[in-house]
Amino acid sequence: MKDKSSIILAVLVLMAFVAIPFLIDVDTSYIGFFLFLSFCYIIISQGWNLVAGYTGQISLCQNAFFGLGAYTTALIWLHDITKTGYYFDPVVMAISGLVPVILAILIGLPLLSRLRGDYFALGTLGVQFIIQVVFLKGGDFTRGADGLHLPSTVFTSMKPYYWAGLFLALFATAVIYFITRSRIGLALRAIMEDEISAAAHGIHVLKYKIFAFAVGAFLAGISGSLFAYYLFHINPDSVLNLNWLFYPILICVLGGNGTIVGPIIGSFFITALFSLGIVYMAQTHPIVSGVLIILVMKFMPTGLIGLKDKILSRG
Amino acid sequence: MLEYLTFGLVLQLLVNGILFGTMYGIAAIGLSLIYGTMRIIFLAHGAIIVFFAYICYWLFTLLHIDPYLSLILVIPASLLLGSGFYAGLFKEAAALEDKNISLLIAVGLMYLVEQLMLVVWKANPRSISTIYTAIVFRPLGINIPFTRLIALVMAVLSAFGVLFFLKKTLIGTAVRAASEDMESATLMGINPHWVNVVAFAIGIGLGGIAGVGLATVYSFDPGYGFIFAIKALIALAFGGMGNVFGALLGGILLGLLESLSSFFIGAGWADAITYGVFLLVLTFRPQGLFGGST
Repeated sequence: MKDKSSIILAVLVLMAFVAIPFLIDVDTSYIGFFLFLSFCYIIISQGWNLVAGYTGQISLCQNAFFGLGAYTTALIWLHDITKTGYYFDPVVMAISGLVPVILAILIGLPLLSRLRGDYFALGTLGVQFIIQVVFLKGGDFTRGADGLHLPSTVFTSMKPYYWAGLFLALFATAVIYFITRSRIGLALRAIMEDEISAAAHGIHVLKYKIFAFAVGAFLAGISGSLFAYYLFHINPDSVLNLNWLFYPILICVLGGNGTIVGPIIGSFFITALFSLGIVYMAQTHPIVSGVLIILVMKFMPTGLIGLKDKILSRG
Repeated sequence: MLEYLTFGLVLQLLVNGILFGTMYGIAAIGLSLIYGTMRIIFLAHGAIIVFFAYICYWLFTLLHIDPYLSLILVIPASLLLGSGFYAGLFKEAAALEDKNISLLIAVGLMYLVEQLMLVVWKANPRSISTIYTAIVFRPLGINIPFTRLIALVMAVLSAFGVLFFLKKTLIGTAVRAASEDMESATLMGINPHWVNVVAFAIGIGLGGIAGVGLATVYSFDPGYGFIFAIKALIALAFGGMGNVFGALLGGILLGLLESLSSFFIGAGWADAITYGVFLLVLTFRPQGLFGGST
């Protein structure tokens, strides 16, 4: 019964999102960009959600995966490697997701096998800095701090962005939904609860951890690719920015880490808050976000999702 | 480049590294105390250090208080701020099994302090220049600026001070016991909140000293804090988490690594080298380079 009503609700919400471009002109209204940005955050946050919320590994290099995805898209486009050469190429986006997966496996093997908890978080933070330096010093290939300029003349309308964003956000949510409802999800949860006992029950801990880490990297890469198509100017400052690391974490934690709906609520909430902040108090809005993180963590560590349970249990 | 390489130059690079590294060292000792008792990675530490550098800057430019004299004000203020942070922000979170919450509170605090500094002091770099900023000692042809030497002395003194406190006083012993095993320490009648307050206060207190050192030696801006915190964490990992003297040595090692690699390989790549070594240390010697096997 509960499942049925939540499926109906999900379908209704989805239909509302499908209807939006027909009701509102997404090209002229700020809502178009707002929803596109929210979708980007949903994709990258669902990735972090799987790694940290379901598997319990705090990865602090999602921005490296995001940037790698963006750079992959830009480089393939500029050098026309796949010979398809058109705008919003699904093949390019898939490759942009897979390149971070390779990095995730390469760094996951040594880091996840040897480091746990805080040490893993610190290690991934180090990786993220190394990637930044590599792109900054990449010579002619990445063109250093100036970065890559894509032909922005192809931009005609916000509509393709809206549809691609909506589809990918749905895709990311579905991927996480089906992974967490499967045997793999059960294994991931077991690892989060108690690694040693999980290993004793015959779960190959390293394999599952790397799987979760790679899926997180894949989603971050796709999100980066999508954002690169919008940004047209890819440089370390824009796509390897630490905001791409901290905002997804904030979104997951604020929405409810380790839940499917949490990152979605969190993305809309945070994007709305920051958009309002940028419009109404341009310089001081990061202060508000800092205060907000502290307040949420202090008073409702389970996130906005937990708030619902709290209200329900009181009534 | 190698034809310029003389004995004096190498010596200068080593000295620069050591003088640089002690700053990371004191920051790392503070982090080490906080991590030791509460298992919190206090990412906001760098932002706090820069904040105290700005306080020192303000005391100097507005009230004309000598930077070293301002330590008399900065140290009590930072001790108070540290206990305030614990009581106001981390008290509940430190007791939780889930350490992500305290990590995220630290991230939130970092954002908050950094942005406040941006609003109050703007983004352009500041530095303090006093009459003795330009004094440079030249033993054996090596340049040793006076302010850096004082920073080194401050770092070594505070490291010994903390070590003395931990080894010789009762509350220090309690802090050490709690770092080793919080549960047993609590069973022995040690109040965990009291120990945590002391560790936090001293940690931030060292941050205050580092802030004054920073203000007199380098130019600083609000964004510098995060990098500084990361460097302190690296120094901490080199020395081994929870090892006071190791943290200072780790800082010096990090300073040497940076100074040598930026000369021989290039300034931009120095960071990558540092993080690479950091990853190797984390992977193969997570107990630190100087600690025994634990």
